Amino acid sequence: MQVQELVGIVPWTFIAQICNLFIQMYLIKRFLFKPINEMLEKRRAAADAEITDAEAAKKEANAIKEEYEQNMQEAKAKANEILESARKTATLQSEKIVKEASEQAAALKNKAEKEIAQEKKKAVNEVKGEIGGIAMDIAGKVIEREINEKDHEKLIDEFISNVGEAS
Amino acid sequence: MEVDISGAKVFFTIPIDFPLFGKIQISETLVVSWIVMALITGLCIWLTRDLKIRNISKRQAVAEMIVETANKFVIGNMGEKFRYLIPFVSALFATSVVSNLISLIGLRSPTADLSTEAAWAVVVFIMITTQKIKTNGFGGYLKGFTTPIAVMTPFNVLSELATPISMACRHFGNILSGVVINALIYGSLALASGKLLGLLPGVLGRTLSQIPILDVGVPAVLSVYFDWFSGVMQAFIFCMLTVMYIANVAEEG
Repeated sequence: MQVQELVGIVPWTFIAQICNLFIQMYLIKRFLFKPINEMLEKRRAAADAEITDAEAAKKEANAIKEEYEQNMQEAKAKANEILESARKTATLQSEKIVKEASEQAAALKNKAEKEIAQEKKKAVNEVKGEIGGIAMDIAGKVIEREINEKDHEKLIDEFISNVGEAS
Repeated sequence: MEVDISGAKVFFTIPIDFPLFGKIQISETLVVSWIVMALITGLCIWLTRDLKIRNISKRQAVAEMIVETANKFVIGNMGEKFRYLIPFVSALFATSVVSNLISLIGLRSPTADLSTEAAWAVVVFIMITTQKIKTNGFGGYLKGFTTPIAVMTPFNVLSELATPISMACRHFGNILSGVVINALIYGSLALASGKLLGLLPGVLGRTLSQIPILDVGVPAVLSVYFDWFSGVMQAFIFCMLTVMYIANVAEEG
């Protein structure tokens, strides 16, 4: 069999090896780098998507939390308001009741006082009349004569009014 | 006992005589190159079968590791803008390693043929020169030969040409030396075992001396260096030099 030189450059082998190198480059690119890089890219995209999802979920959770907190705040404020207004109403009502009661009491007292005064007057008048009558009887009996009724009555009235003032 | 160390066998010759280039000879180098290419491509296809995003197989992990290593090697040494060179450097390395190691299964390494390394070196040289012209402009490239003084021009041209020649010859020399030493060792061990067993008396000695018993095992130890180490090392050096030369030239501008 024919044999080439041990150390030498064979032109066609040289050219063929250049071609082989580039063909090999294409084959490696096509069958190793392309699929692997595509796969890595896909994996990166998947990871990115997951991170984005997680971020969105976190954002949503934060929004919900904020809303909840706000709701809580509002509810608290409302409760306070209700409490405050209830207290106010109660105070107002109690004040009103006390006022009414005191007014009523005052009216009652007034009425009672008036009645007492009236009773007193009535009693005094009765007593006056009685005393007048008694005095007249006594005087009539003592003097045993009929004096002018008119003068007599005047005299007794003076006397009684003096008594009333003294009493 | 005869030790024959020759160039690549020619299997087939296409009988058309091209001027300057001669007849096309399908040599051992070419055939084994094709086998190497088929092996590498087959390996690539096998490695990248049913790729998954999660729960990757060991095979896919290996494929990813290879790609990451290639990316790191090229981008780490040359920078992001040379990303397009990753497949080229990978092809160079893969072809070189597999070509060097294919001698282990008894085929003749395509890299034991200077034509192969010369082809690679010339491609790399053209790349370096293109990169040089790209960074400095054509005028700047020509001017570069006259630095530091015009008298240095011939030396500069020589040193420029020395790059591909040294790259090709370094790789070729290492592989060829492996081939030569292996042939010598096989030959000498066969001779030695023939002589040793020939000392045995009678028919026994005559029969056993025909079997090169020492050829079993002993060359394997030596092939750890001459095939494995030297083969992988030379492929690495060749790629490293390619990457370094191109990166250096790109930075000069």
